[in-house]
Amino acid sequence: MNNVETVQSKVQYKKNFKSFLNEWMILILFIGLFLISFLSLPKFRTTGNIMNILRQASFISIIALGEFFVVLIANMDMSITSIIGMTSIYFAGMVANSGVPVFWAMLIVLLMSIVVGIINGVLTVYGKMPSFIGTLTVMNIIKGIYFIYSRGLPISGLPESFNFLGAGYIGFVPFPVILLIVVAVVLHIFAQHTELGRSFYAVGGNIEAAKLSGINIKFISIFAFVLCAVLSSIGALGLTSRSLSGNVSIGENLLFDVMTIVVLGGTSLTGGRGKVFGVVIGALFLQVISNIMILMSVNTYWQWVVKGIILIVVVVIDANSKHD
Amino acid sequence: MAAEKLVEVKNCTMVFPGVKALDNVDFTLLAGECHGLVGENGAGKSTLSKCIIGDYKMTEGELYIKGQSIHIPSFSVRKSYEMGVAIVHQEFQLMEDMNGLENIFIGRYEKRGPIIDWKKLQKKGAELLEYLQCDVDLKVKVKHLRTAEKQIIQLAKAMLDNPDVLIFDELTAVLQEDGIQNIFRIIDLLKAKGIGIIYISHRLDEIFQCCDRYTVLCDGKFISSGEVQDIDKPELVKMIIGRELKNVYPAKSHKFGEVLLEIKNFTAPTAFRDVNLKVRSGEVVGISGLLGAGKTELLHAIFGNHKLSSGEVFIKGEAVKIHSPQQAIKYGLGVVPDERRLLGLNMLFNIKDNTTLASMKFFKKWKLFQNHRKESEAAFEINKRLNLRYYSLLQLISKLSGGNQQKVVLAKWMLRNCDVFLLDEPTRGIDIGAKFEIYNLINELAKAGKGVILVSPELEEIIGLSNRVYVMYEGKIMDVIEGENITQEVIIQDLLGVVEA
Repeated sequence: MNNVETVQSKVQYKKNFKSFLNEWMILILFIGLFLISFLSLPKFRTTGNIMNILRQASFISIIALGEFFVVLIANMDMSITSIIGMTSIYFAGMVANSGVPVFWAMLIVLLMSIVVGIINGVLTVYGKMPSFIGTLTVMNIIKGIYFIYSRGLPISGLPESFNFLGAGYIGFVPFPVILLIVVAVVLHIFAQHTELGRSFYAVGGNIEAAKLSGINIKFISIFAFVLCAVLSSIGALGLTSRSLSGNVSIGENLLFDVMTIVVLGGTSLTGGRGKVFGVVIGALFLQVISNIMILMSVNTYWQWVVKGIILIVVVVIDANSKHD
Repeated sequence: MAAEKLVEVKNCTMVFPGVKALDNVDFTLLAGECHGLVGENGAGKSTLSKCIIGDYKMTEGELYIKGQSIHIPSFSVRKSYEMGVAIVHQEFQLMEDMNGLENIFIGRYEKRGPIIDWKKLQKKGAELLEYLQCDVDLKVKVKHLRTAEKQIIQLAKAMLDNPDVLIFDELTAVLQEDGIQNIFRIIDLLKAKGIGIIYISHRLDEIFQCCDRYTVLCDGKFISSGEVQDIDKPELVKMIIGRELKNVYPAKSHKFGEVLLEIKNFTAPTAFRDVNLKVRSGEVVGISGLLGAGKTELLHAIFGNHKLSSGEVFIKGEAVKIHSPQQAIKYGLGVVPDERRLLGLNMLFNIKDNTTLASMKFFKKWKLFQNHRKESEAAFEINKRLNLRYYSLLQLISKLSGGNQQKVVLAKWMLRNCDVFLLDEPTRGIDIGAKFEIYNLINELAKAGKGVILVSPELEEIIGLSNRVYVMYEGKIMDVIEGENITQEVIIQDLLGVVEA
């Protein structure tokens, strides 16, 4: 009897260790990658470079955290690039051209992003459009609108003080990094320790069971798209702040990196599985890879190739390890 | 009659982990006969047919097809098909968006070079239908066809390579009377051509209408086999049930309180109509009916998860509107759906999270955060009451056995402290031991003053647990039986009487 119990607890332990490895593979890979780069590349291990990596990873992390919640409920938001462009253009336009105070302009673009999120959600939930198509359509419509507004030109003339959001420091820590830590901690608590947050996992894991357990699946789905849009918008403000100008192309090519980060972070594309901190580490991982390639003067096009291969590897691994 | 033995099964035993699905079963199918394979759910009918077509590999025993001894380990569905064994399922395995012709020939296209030869297919399709003496428009997309016509398409597909053995697995369960008669006509046709048919059905009078011989299975064991003309319906029924109802079921509660839930004139297009039903405190109400009678839909409709065209709901005498599961839960209803993996549980969640899924709002810190410790304690308590077997509450639900998974679904609603439990086949696919535990639980719930609505295809279960039984047929309540009158005979009479009508 005792023997049986010991054996059982051992099996249990083994499984837990295996699932720990499964869940935090990215963390182990990241630590490995970091250590190797740290030891072998002198240019990599300067404080300046590391702070640079952190700063660059921060806004894309915030955007990826938005996408994370949509992927968590087994959907996809393709419109984030346009939400970023829209935020950048309208924010710069309001502040530089129309003289709206920075605070109010921020609030207005955030409200705009909420509206876009609701549209994405409603198209998916009530319009029953596959989110991939629904958000792709919304992406193009919004893109059209802000191109009409800006005629495709960048809008400069933002106040220097606004630069703090993307390039400021508190002590020796870049402000974006602090912002990311705050956002990630809040979202982690939200996802793991609130009823609403747990409902995302429930909907992503089994939407029918969630519905029959009394979860408002429509609300949760729409909420995910709103969260995604708002976080994308916050990220976009950070990116805009760094260049101090509104730019239509600011979000271009970001969708690919964002999806890579979300998946790298251990989020299952079929929904229901993933962690906030996993996504943050995914972002750091990707940023370190970019950084190394830049330090080693790999050209941009080769960087695309490498990142593409990383995404393929990660998705293949994810798709083949579903049963555990 | 010295007809050729098309299929012969000797001493077949099939063991699944933890369950003996078939135990030393013998079966013989002769050429030109229709052989009825009968028994309750879980008696082993489908398992036996799957062994014959090579879908399952029998653990022990011998199989002969057309006199040829079959090497079991290398046997497969493909091989049995090549030997002329074909199966027609009750569920449609058709591509809804393709037309009938393509559905028949899918995977077996006639080609000229790389190009599909549609003309030839049309000709062959027409020949097949002529052979079956049926008239179905093969150019119409399958989703626009009637159920009976779809069934013909399935049949034609099975007939494509001229099989000698056909297995009809509850083919008629989804059909109306005229469709069933058509199937009987086809069976006669096929029999005349020397084809042997294994006919699996729940509807006993069909056995008497179209079968020559019968074989009865009960709990995986061979009970009896013989000529249909030598027996009558009551005899067959007795063989199917196999034993008297012993003390498998706990003593029913007889203390009823107020009416907890009452529905009036529940009607949903295509599912059910004019259903009236009530549950009192302390009462178990059974709903019995054949497949497709609308039982599951009715349960979902009560729970706000199926559209109604009309109907009223009263909770403790008060008229309310229930449009969503959320509202239903607020009024104290809880549902245990038939497909627990698809509808009842989140397979990615652990035991604790699945147990507390419907009651998260009761376990909060500062009204905002989830109190995981309290959740775990509550989940532990409730699962202890249910005698759940597990290592850790953080264990993934997918690692539990079916019976234990079902207990978690029940635990979810007990934790929520529901007043009325809607149970849809709560013992589907779980082993005998867990079944009894669930029976006891249902009884305990009733004794604690809860109301239970129980849907089950197993008459024994309904009889052993219910204080009142509603018999449903094609979406209508045909009879309500109470107390002492709830017997196998009465319900079967109802079900069969209705079929005859």
